[in-house]
This record gives sequence, structure tokens and C-alpha cells, in this order.
Amino acid sequence: MASNKKYWKSVEELNKNSSIVAKLEEKEFVSEMTADEFLGDKESLEESSTSRRDFLKYVGFSTAAASLAACEGPVRKSIPYVVKPEEITPGIANHYASTIADGYDFANVLVKTREGRPILVMPNKLANGSTNARVQASVLSLYDSLRLKGPKVNSNNSSWSDVNTQIKATLAELKDSGEKIVLLTGTLASPSTEKLISEFKAVYGNVEHVQYDALSESATLDAFEEVYGKRALPNYDFSNAKMIVSIGADFLADWQGGYEKSYVEGRNVSAGKMSRHIQVEANMSLTGSNADKRIVLKPSEQIYALINLYNAVTGESLPSKATPRDAAISNAAKQLKKSGRYGVVVTGIQNKNAQLISLALNAYLKSEVIDIYAVRYTRQGNDTAVDLLLSEMNSGKVGAIITYNTNPVYTLADSAAFVEGLKKVKLSVAFASSENETASISQYTLPIPHYLEAWGDVQIKEGSYSLTQPTINPLFDTKQFQDCLLSWSGNEESYYNYLKNFWNTEVLQGTSWNQALHNGVFTPSELVVVELIANSIDLVKSANVLLSSVHTGGFELTLYPSTAIGDGQQANNPWLQELPDPLTRACWDNYLLISQADATEQGFSNPVRDNGAIDGQYANITVNGVVLENVPVLIQPGQAKGSLGLAVGYGKTKAMKTDMQVGVNAYTLAKDFKNVQVASIENIGGAHKFACEQLQHTIAGRYEILKEVSFKDYSNSNLDPKKSWNQITKVSLKHEEVEVNSVNLWDDQDRSIGHHFNLSIDLTACTGCGACVIACHAENNVPVVGKHEVRVGRDMHWLRIDRYYSSELDAGSEARENNTNSTSDSVDDYYNLETPEAENPQVSFQPLMCQHCNHAPCETVCPVAATSHGRQGQNQMAYNRCVGTRYCANNCPYRVRRFNWFKYNDNSEFDFNMNDDYGKMVLNPDVVVRSRGVMEKCSFCIQSTQAVILKAKREGRKVAPSEFNDSCACSAACSTGAMVFGDVNESNDDIVGLKEDKRAYRLLEFIGTDNNVLYQVKVRNTEEA
Amino acid sequence: MSSHYEAPIREPLVLGEKSYHDITVDIARPIEGKANKNWYIAFTISLIAFIWGIGCISYTIGTGIGVWGLNKNIGWAWDITNFVWWVGIGHAGTLISAVLLLFRQRWRMAINRSAEAMTIFAVFQAGLFPIIHMGRPWNGYWVMPIPNQFGTLWVNFNSPLLWDVFAISTYLSVSLVFWWTGLLPDFAMLRDRAVKPFQKKIYALLSFGWSGRAKDWQRFEEVSLVLAGLATPLVLSVHTIVSMDFATSINPGWHSTIFPPYFVAGAIFSGFAMVQTLLGIMRKVTNLENYITRLHVEYMNMVIMFTGGIVAVAYATEFFIAWYTGSPYENFTYMSVGAATGPYGWAFWSLILFNILIPQLLWIRKFRRSFIISFLISIAINIGMWFERFDIIAIVLSKGHLPSTWARFEPTFVDIGIFIGTIGFFGVLFLLYARTFPVIAQAEVKSILKLSGENYKKLRDGNHE
Amino acid sequence: MSNKVIHALYNDDDILMDAVKKVKEKHIHIDEIFTPFPVHGLDKAMGLAPTRLAVTAFMYGLVGLGFSIWMTNYMMIQDWPQDIGGKPNFSWFLNMPAFVPIMFEMTIFFAAHFMVITFYMRSRIWPFKSAENPDVRTTDDHFLMEISIHNNNEEELTSLLNETGAVEINVIEKH
Repeated sequence: MASNKKYWKSVEELNKNSSIVAKLEEKEFVSEMTADEFLGDKESLEESSTSRRDFLKYVGFSTAAASLAACEGPVRKSIPYVVKPEEITPGIANHYASTIADGYDFANVLVKTREGRPILVMPNKLANGSTNARVQASVLSLYDSLRLKGPKVNSNNSSWSDVNTQIKATLAELKDSGEKIVLLTGTLASPSTEKLISEFKAVYGNVEHVQYDALSESATLDAFEEVYGKRALPNYDFSNAKMIVSIGADFLADWQGGYEKSYVEGRNVSAGKMSRHIQVEANMSLTGSNADKRIVLKPSEQIYALINLYNAVTGESLPSKATPRDAAISNAAKQLKKSGRYGVVVTGIQNKNAQLISLALNAYLKSEVIDIYAVRYTRQGNDTAVDLLLSEMNSGKVGAIITYNTNPVYTLADSAAFVEGLKKVKLSVAFASSENETASISQYTLPIPHYLEAWGDVQIKEGSYSLTQPTINPLFDTKQFQDCLLSWSGNEESYYNYLKNFWNTEVLQGTSWNQALHNGVFTPSELVVVELIANSIDLVKSANVLLSSVHTGGFELTLYPSTAIGDGQQANNPWLQELPDPLTRACWDNYLLISQADATEQGFSNPVRDNGAIDGQYANITVNGVVLENVPVLIQPGQAKGSLGLAVGYGKTKAMKTDMQVGVNAYTLAKDFKNVQVASIENIGGAHKFACEQLQHTIAGRYEILKEVSFKDYSNSNLDPKKSWNQITKVSLKHEEVEVNSVNLWDDQDRSIGHHFNLSIDLTACTGCGACVIACHAENNVPVVGKHEVRVGRDMHWLRIDRYYSSELDAGSEARENNTNSTSDSVDDYYNLETPEAENPQVSFQPLMCQHCNHAPCETVCPVAATSHGRQGQNQMAYNRCVGTRYCANNCPYRVRRFNWFKYNDNSEFDFNMNDDYGKMVLNPDVVVRSRGVMEKCSFCIQSTQAVILKAKREGRKVAPSEFNDSCACSAACSTGAMVFGDVNESNDDIVGLKEDKRAYRLLEFIGTDNNVLYQVKVRNTEEA
Repeated sequence: MSSHYEAPIREPLVLGEKSYHDITVDIARPIEGKANKNWYIAFTISLIAFIWGIGCISYTIGTGIGVWGLNKNIGWAWDITNFVWWVGIGHAGTLISAVLLLFRQRWRMAINRSAEAMTIFAVFQAGLFPIIHMGRPWNGYWVMPIPNQFGTLWVNFNSPLLWDVFAISTYLSVSLVFWWTGLLPDFAMLRDRAVKPFQKKIYALLSFGWSGRAKDWQRFEEVSLVLAGLATPLVLSVHTIVSMDFATSINPGWHSTIFPPYFVAGAIFSGFAMVQTLLGIMRKVTNLENYITRLHVEYMNMVIMFTGGIVAVAYATEFFIAWYTGSPYENFTYMSVGAATGPYGWAFWSLILFNILIPQLLWIRKFRRSFIISFLISIAINIGMWFERFDIIAIVLSKGHLPSTWARFEPTFVDIGIFIGTIGFFGVLFLLYARTFPVIAQAEVKSILKLSGENYKKLRDGNHE
Repeated sequence: MSNKVIHALYNDDDILMDAVKKVKEKHIHIDEIFTPFPVHGLDKAMGLAPTRLAVTAFMYGLVGLGFSIWMTNYMMIQDWPQDIGGKPNFSWFLNMPAFVPIMFEMTIFFAAHFMVITFYMRSRIWPFKSAENPDVRTTDDHFLMEISIHNNNEEELTSLLNETGAVEINVIEKH
């Protein structure tokens, strides 16, 4: 029992009513006198009895405090492993095979992690994967500081347990009242999830699963379904195509994605084959810029062109109309016929009937390029279903709506209807990674993990299953959509187990799960091919319907996904915002593309400011009633007259850092999910500030910079390249002409010992997609500098892709033929060489990074020897020796050196990933973050080449041939194999052959810088029928 | 006396009835007297500009070079333009006192002191820019070949920028020594005249206790002669090396073999122009009209015409070669059709106007001998020479080898502020100099008084009749 | 012996020259002459030995040249050779053209500065050194001849100097 003895501290305490005791009791602890109270006013200072002692106390304390504060250094919080995970060795990277499937981009990837942090996403070459810029950049979206950090109810923080119980309860009610529950998702293409959804249906009865793509391929799906009875996209294998006619299909960029690889395989000139590619389009697209021939037609005319092409090939006479370029079309038809089953027609026209016709045409050709068996599931959206859903929501027929992996409020043309409908719905749940437009107005906002934190499976195409696996513990309090579905449908199993079971039972056919997980992809050994019977289609009817559906008048506006931002779900990703568009070379913006002719009529122009920045006026775009205001206008050479282009994915405002809230939301114009609309524009003047990285659009007659040759001349064996299309500048040595690279001023260094790196860039294979640029950013901690800095020409890209349009004088000029420089005395000629051909210019891309010259001009001029040459051929930069005179950059003929004008990390002026504790997690620990005032540039990813060498050393072997190829981020990221990196001292390395190739040349060779970067002459298939 | 003979046809270099003592008095006057209002106005203005410049420099160093108008393709613009401009100005002084001494040009004696002062002050300004244009100026000392904790971390002697470091610092220190040695007897004179004890102390210190022994004078003259002999190649080497910053690079328009002689000529051109400008002001402010005469002005104008001619020929050569190579890379050098018609046409044409056309007025003797006109022309030349450097740097960099790297440059207020600041700094130094230093080498002038003094000449010529 | 000296002041350089000649004819040793500016031929008239400063300058120049050669060689070739722009970093001679400006500047630098320093040391002039000219006018417009008096030839010297046109003569004890 507790004793209640009283202990007294002083006799005084015995005295019941003693003031002292009372005083002591009420303030047991003597409160110290605060400084100002005791030093503050005079009296208290005088009357304070123990002022001297107090004073000394204060002095003592403050001195101690001051000295302590002085000692204290900056604190870096870091927690060592208590128990080290066996797979993690500090300093050694781990790679995991995984798969991205965000409803827009689908790719098999290899994720590089350091100390448990994913820092780089590369294509999973084992799974024949290919990555574009967005996939490369997705790793940064993982560290987006604006991601949802926990579940919310009516935008108040909540907990998963509460949320789950509440939602379950509501769902139960709805089930009882038999109301409709709708799952609105983006394209999932996930077998296990679809099974899960069906089970969910089983539990709750009246459940509907609607899939919705922001950029819809519904028409293609409908058409394919109608013909072959299967809702999927036809697949294409361009690797052995001879003739490709594409009508408005940007298949090298974002049109369903992932075709560039086989396309380039079909144009492997050194293997003696090159498909001919004719592109019919209105916007200047990435595909069009790579095409051998580009036929510029407005969207409406494209439809006629398609029918005319069909008629010309088949000899039938479907109703059609004439187009200005029918001659070219019939030419294409001839070539198609000639190439027979190696020919193919692809069309991006978002119209079922158009797709039907193209399918029929391919069927007629018996095309082997199109594959109707290994169909793709990367687009599942169904427009009619979505329309139906909207009307039902508004008529209150929907009880609950659960959105996942989609953001209709932002991407729907009449999102107003959706918002209204959402109010009428009893239960609205949004699974989202950030509090986006939709999530912010749903009752329940449930955070989902990034794909790098999640489990999943994807069936990108028939007969190929891919796995997604977590590469890091979830950063935030997130739950997967699938886990929730499981728990809501009363299944307490975790999705991981569910997935594993599902695969073991239904996919793996008895093979090992771990193996599949290791590979990231599984292809069943025996593929059950279901024979598809093509239903007969009344093409005349569909042609008529098609024609009737054509709207003309005013401008024909084509909405397109930009190479960088795509459908806009990664719009808060600074790397992507700063990735210049391959064609306009502008970033941090979307803009209305207009042809030169129309621009002149409408009074639009792009004046160049004195600081080299480009301005433009604003336009108001009106599409049947809907007005999109203040759209900056950019003149695009090669844009079809009477047509306009505008990129979607911009103008997002929710869950976006202020610097990233750029552009206008073009989705609002996509009425009826159509990407082509009839629009009218009004010039409202103003001055928009563009951030454009390239001022000069043509090559100004300096053809030797970017050499081109026709496939005919290339394969003509009795034409000596050195004398015709790949000449080397001659200089006079002792009165005789010798090739410039045979002259040397001094005894050269011995570069034959050890590794010596070269990089070969095939201009024929480069599509200009920009994946390498992002990969370089990620691998080398290249800072993002923001719109203004890019505008004034201070972008930090170590690797850039120059884009040149041909000029009026280029076409057929003899200098162009021989890739020699055109010289001229007349000022007009200067001017003409400098102005791009507006109607339909040829486009060439040239990736450019440090050329790692063996005779580097930059090294010679550095006063402090901060940059010098490495033993392995790299031009090395010692950042911490650099004093920043910028002489090296001035003396670099390629202008690839980048200067740190400001402090780009931990600087609120540059509020991007390096100013953000989460964003910093993406930094590559092997590469230093450069300080203000130093020069930086491409290093040939020396950290990775060294890693390869050390690995070989540890394993006690020679570095294997071509083992270096993937050490450069750019060459590793390049899906088309345009970039090949290797060791020229290793005779079996691919690079050796490329160095000797008859297409190989070095940039500005006449300067004699002896580059370690090679270019392979661009080949075009100019063969007409 | 025969030893004092000078052809009567020559105009006197010293006007008025001057005795040795008069010279002393005249030259000591500005120092011992009170400064007039103009001096204070000029000084205040310079001081304000100077402080503004300091502000801009600290802003740059605190924030980053990004506050200037430079970009990834144009890594230099106003910074190096101003550097070369100031170095160029800094050429006349040593040239006057060294080369003209070797050529026994007596007329130099009235102006060499101030010209050298100007040289030294200008080189101060020039020296500023290579330091502040660095991304990390606090590491600027790394360009010195000094032992360091890394042991083997040395500078790169292949780099023209490093040659600059040596050339400029040698030039500055040698000029300083040359100037100071010449100043010693004049400081001694001031010391011995000084009445205020403080002044006496100061000048005693500055004069290093010069006593004017016969032996000292003998050594003094020897040293002056040898220093002149050393300074002459030095002064030529400095701008040669500065020009190598460009000539040894590979940019079309920079990579040009005629740069060294052409830059040196340009430097003398601008240097004399600046001397002309400054003396034009100083002879009025310190009323030394009798020592800085029309004759001096005319002689200097002749040098300006000569060097200006060289520069003009160099331009013509550059222009011709740019066209004659037939290389498209040369189409846009600072002297080319491309430049004349391109976005920097205005800079190109102002260079032609200020540097080639306006100086031609000096062919007219009346203008050549007019104080006010040569003053105005000298200012035009100063502007023109600034544009020359701007064109060479900005236009060439704005049109690199690869068309994709073509860019433009626009200065920010910081660029401009720093330039103004250096002008202010220069003004402050020169004005202080004019109040505290003997602005004319009185000892030397005394030594030619009998030779070329107006009254002595009169006497002598009288005798000859 | 006494250490009296005569100070004869002149106010014209030509008169001074004649005076010097006259005095020398009498084989009288002139201790020192203080002048406000260099009087040409005075040193010869006084019989001063020619100065050898020019020679020292030449030697200092050679030292500078040698130093620069050593420095470039040690720093660029020996201590830490780097492959800079592919230049021949293995041989000073092949790399030499790039070092010429340095060699030149160092030569001038050494020659100029050390010669001047030598001059200052020999003529005993440096900061905080107090002046030794006996009469302040000698830096303005007067010329002072100093002759020390031996075996009391004071009078004859005075008269001699008077003949030579001295404007002022005074005899003082020198300490």
C-alpha cells in the first residue's frame, strides 16, 4: 500500500499558515529572472538583491552559449544502417528490371538505384525495351515534393484505416441500394488488375469499369474491333518495311509509342537496306522531320489523301475529293504497290472510318509490316463509354465514382460537365499521386505510390507480360489502388501476393516467378494464336460517312502531345519542362504553331530581341464557342497553310510549382475527344517571351557540318565518298594538297595504350527524340535553370540536339550535294541561306556534346590548367580548379561548355529539384554538384567508364568488347542505337568498325581538333517511283 | 652657347619669359595652391561613378556573373572589351617617355609625366577586369605560379591569359618604377619648397631623400635610358600578348596573324587620344598653357594620324581577307559583309565612323593645331576604339562555327555600371594626382629651357643675325 | 685636420660648368656638386667615372631569362606534365614556343626592377632616407659646389670661386 507519510523540508513547514511555505508551494521552482526584466528597467536592477551573481550567471551563460554557437557546424542528418541490407553496398549501384505503365507511356525499364534510391531509368534491353524522354525523367517525378503525402477526406488529412472503413461502409450502402459504382481509369493493360476489378464487380454487383485516355485512340480501337473483333491496336514492325506511308501518324514520337526502334532497324543502311518513308501531315512532327518525303496537307485533305491513296492502290473508286498534292499521293501509291507486302499505311486520323480504310488498304497489300496478332494494349480508352458516363453522372444515375490514373477534370474538353456530375455522385474517390484537378474536388483523395515504389504487371502487347517492382520503400503514406480494391472487396491478401499467385497460375506456365521478376518481362514459350477473321466492311459507306464528317472552313487545329510533356501528367517535372522541343527548340511553353504564310496574313511574327531571345504575339483561339485566350504564337516552317498546331499537357495549375505553371490547357478545345478541330484565331498582340534555345534555323551554307547523302549515292559502289559526299578538307602542305587530318603541328601523344574512348553518332538513326538529353541530366546532375535563363541563352544541357531546316538555296545546290560549303559574295545569298524554307523544309538533327578533342582548343587556353586531356581520350574538367574565365567556352568551336552563372542548388531563385530535399534524392552520388562560377561539360560519363573498368579489374578479366557502350548515359538511353560508345583500342569493339565506316566524319575537321566524337553521314531515301 | 643650339625654325617648347625659378613656381603652384571649383566638381562626379562601380562589382561577386548580359555562346563582352580598351589607353604613357626618349624627342618632356600617370591609372582599371570577370574571383590568385598545398598544382604556361598575367603585371610594375624614379627630383624640389611641416614630411618620404648629387644625376640619366630601352619592347609586347588572347584562338575573326602589330598600333592610337583628352583638360585646369603648347598637340595629332592609318589599313586587310578566303565561316567576322549588314551593323558602322572617318580631319593643319577640335576628335577616337574591341569580341562570338550557336548579347545595368565605375576610379586617381604630384617633369624641362625656351631662343637667334 | 667645407652657389648651369673647369685646372678636388637638374657634361668635367648600371641590367636580364626557363620547364614538363591540347608536354624544347612570352616578360621584369634597386642602393636613396643637399635652393634653381678646405687655403679658394662667378660663398663646419 502506498504510504502517505509527509516529509518536511524545514521546520517552517510545520507551521500551518506560514506565508513562506505558501509562497514556496505555489512556486516550487524559482523562475530565473529574464535578462530584459532584470537589465531592462533601472529600479528592478537596483533593487534586485543578487544582481552581481545574476549578472555573472548571465555573463557566464551568454559566453558559453556564444562559444558553443560558434563551435557548431552545419548539421547533416544521416542515419547509418543498423543492420545493413545484404543487397545494398554503399557505392555500388543495384539495377532492377521494372516496367512503367502510367496509362500513356509503357516501357520495360532498368532502374539504377544507389543506397536504395532510384537515380536513373534506362531501357531494359533484355526486354527489348525503349525509353523516351518522359520515361527517362519519370525517376524525378518519384521525388516530386508536391506528391500527396497521405490520404485526405474533403481535403483534410486523414488516415488509411478511417478512409477504408468509411469508403467500405458507403460502398456497402450503395450496393444495397443497388446504385452504380464506376471505376474510371486510364489505360491499365494490367491482367492482374483487370481480374481484380472483375472480382470487385462480383462483390459489389453494379460496377462498371470505364477506361479513358486523355489522348484517345478510340477510333482505331473501334475500327480494329469492328474488323477483327478484338479491342486493341494493330502492331507494326517497320524493321523489314520497304515502303511506309504515314498519314498524320506521328509514330516515331507519341502515337502509341515505341516504334522508333524497328523503324530505324528498317533503315540500317550499312546492312544495305533502307525503307522509304513518306509522311502526309499538317504539323511538322518528329516523324515528318525524319521522313524521306513530307507531303504537307491540312487534316481535312489528309482524309481525301487517304481515300485517294486507297483508290490509287486498289484501283477501286471510293468517293473522295482532290487534294493539291494528288500527284505525290499517286506516286506514293505506285511505290506502295511495288513494295507489296513490305509496304504499309499507318494513319493517325482519329476517325473510325479512316482507320477502317487504312486497315483495308493494308489487308489489300497483305502487308507484313502490320501485325494484327501481337496487338498492343497500350490504349484502351473508349470515348462513347466516357460520354455515357458523363451524362449518367449528371442525371444522377451514378452512385460512386472511383478514378485512378486519370485526371478528367484537367483533360476533358467539357470538364465542367464532369465537375457538375461529380457533385451529384454520393461517393467520389480519387486515386492520385498528387492533389491534381480531379483529386482536389473528390471527397476522398487517396495517394498512390509512384511506379518505382509499386508492384504491378502490364501486358503491353499480346504475348508479352511485364512486371513492375518497387525499387524503394514508399516515400509517403501511400497505398496501391489494387491493395485498396482487395481490401474493399473483402480480400485481406496483399496485392503482392495476389499478383504472385495470379502470375503463377495464369501467366508463368510453371516457370520461375523470381526469374520473371529478374528479367522484368515474360514471354510465354508457346503462344496461342487465335486466328482472326476479317469481317467485310462496306468501305463505300464508310468513305461517305468519312467525307460527311469532314469539317473545313477557318483554320484546322491539330492538338498534339509535345515530345517533352506528352499528355501532361508529368508536367511538374523540371527536366521535361526544360527539354527543348526537337523542332521548335523552345521549352517551358506550349504555343500555337502557324505557317509563315498565315502568320503574315494574320500579322504574327517572332521578333528577335537584342539579347537573342525570341518574342511572339498572343492569339485567342475559338473552337465552336470555346475560347482559349492568350496563346502565344510561334511560326513553324513546314506547317500546312490553313492549319494550326497546339500542344496539350500544359496549363496545369494544381499540384504544380509556380515556375512550372506555364502554357495554356489545350484539352479544353478537344471537343468530342477529337484532336482535330476547326478553329478561328484572333491576333491580340502583346509580347510573349519564348524560351528558345536555337536562334539560327538553317545551316547557313556550312554543309560540311551536317553531311547528307541519298541512299542511291550511298550504295553506289563506284562513287568514292572521299571524293564525293564525304570529303575531308584539303590543305596545301609543301605545295601539295593533303587531307587536313594528316597534318600535325607537333609530335603527338601516344594514345595507343590502354582504353581510348570514341563516340559515334549516326545521323540517319537519330530521330531527335531527346531521351539522351534527359538521361544526361539524370546521370550527371545537370541543373535546371528555368525559363528566363533558357530564354537568355544559359541552358545547361551538356548534350543538345541541334535542328537545322533546309533553306531555299540548299535544295539541289551543288555544295549541298557534295557536303562542301557554299560560298557567296552577295548579301542576298547570305540572307537566303539564313532563312529557312517556309513551305516544306527538310529537317536534320545533330546531337552535340563535348567532342573530346585530342587537340582541344579549350585546354590550351585555360590559365590554371583546370581542363586537360585524360589518358583515355576524355577532355577532362577539374571543377574545383576552375576559376571561371570562360575562355575555354569562347574557344570551343562546338560551344558545348556550360557555365554556372549562378548557384543553381539550394537557391530559392531556382526552385527546382536541386532546391528541394526530395528532389535532391535523384542526384547521382558519383557526380559532384557544380558550384557557382565554374565551367562544366560532358565528361563521357567518366564515372561509369571507370566503374566498368574497376568491375572488370575486380573480376580479374579484360573489359569485354562493347562493354563500355552502356556507360555513357546518352548511348545507353538511345533506343535506336544511333549513339555507340566504345574503346577504339579494343579491336573487337563496335566502335572500331564505325570509325572506319565510309560514312564516318568528324565535325569541323578542318580546324584540326582531332575529335573523339564521330558522326555518320545522314542518309535519305530519295527514290521516287 | 653652341651646346644649346636648336634650329631657329623649330618653335619653342616653353613659351613666355621663363627662368628656372619660374618653372619651379609654375609647377609647384597647383600643389601648393587651393583647388578651384572645377576640380571639386570633377572630383565629386568621378567619386560618385567610382562608388557606383564598386556597388556593381560587389553585386556581381555576391550573386554571380549571371547578373551580366553574357550567355552560353558569348562568354566575354563588356568585361574583356573594357580590359583591352584600358590596356590600350595605358600604352601612350610609357611609349611617350620611353620611345620618344630614345628618339630624343624633347617635346615629350612636358607631357610624359602625366602620360605615364595616365598609363598607370589606366592599367589599374584594366587589371580589374580579368579579376572580376572570373566566375570565382576569390580564387584569382590561382593564376600565379605560386607553390601550394597540392604541391604539383601549377598554372598553364600555354595559355594566352597567363601570358597576360605576366605581361600586364610586368608592364604595370616597370611603368610604376620608371615613373617614380623620374619623380624623385621633382618631389625633392617640392620637399625643399614646402613650408607646412606635414607637406615637408610627406614629400621627404616620397623623394626618398634625393639630393641631386652629380653622381646621382649621372646614374639617374643612365637608368632612365636603360629603362626606356627595356620599356620600349615591353610596351610593344603587352598589347601583342593581349592580342594573342584572340589571335591564338580558333574563332574566325580572332584567329588572325595581323593582330599583334595592329593591336599595338590601335593601342598607341587610343593612348595618344586619351592623353590628348586629359591634357586638353589639365592645361586649362592647372594653367600650364606655357608648357603644353599647340606644338605638343600637333605632334601628338601626328602620331594619332600615323597609328590611325595603320589601324585603318588593318581593318581593310581584315575585311578583304574575310571576303577573299571564300570561307563561309569568315562571312561574319567583325570586319565583313555579314557584320556590316547583320544585327551588329550599328556597332560596325560606329567603329568605321569614329576610328577611320573622323580622325581624317587631322589632315587639315588648322584642326591639327586647334586645341578644341583635337580634343573633340580625341574623344571620338576613344569611343571608336572601344567599339573596335566590342566588335572584335561580341560580333565574333555571336557568330560561331556552328549556326546553331549563333547568339546575341545585351548588356545589363551591371555591365554598364562597372564600366562607368572604372572611368570614375580613373578620374579620382588622376584628379588626386593633378593636385599632389608635379604634373610636369620640371627637372627635365629646366634642362631644355635654354635650348627651347622662347626667350632664350629669341636671344640666340638675335645673336645669329 | 679641419673638416671645413666651402659651399659655392651658382645660379646658371653654364657658369657652373666654367667654374668647374677653372677649379679643376687648379687641381682642386671638388667634393660634390648639387644641381636641380642634370647638367650635361658635368660628370666628365668633374672627372667622375662612368656608371656601370647598364651592365648590371644586362646581367639581371640574363638571370630573369634563366629563371623563366627553369620555371616553365619545372612546372610544365617535370613536376606534373599534363596533356594540354595534345601539346608536346614531354619536351621543353618542343613546347618552348608557347613559353616565349613568359621568358621575355621575366627578362624585362628582372632587368628593370633589380637595376633600379641597385641604383637606389648605390645612390643611397630609399624611403625615410633624409635629404643631404646642404641648401634647399639646389633643387630649385641654384647649383652648389662643395670643396673641402685643406691646409687653410680658404682665402684663395674663396677668391677663385668669386672669380668663377659664384653668387654666394659660405664656409661651414662639416660634421
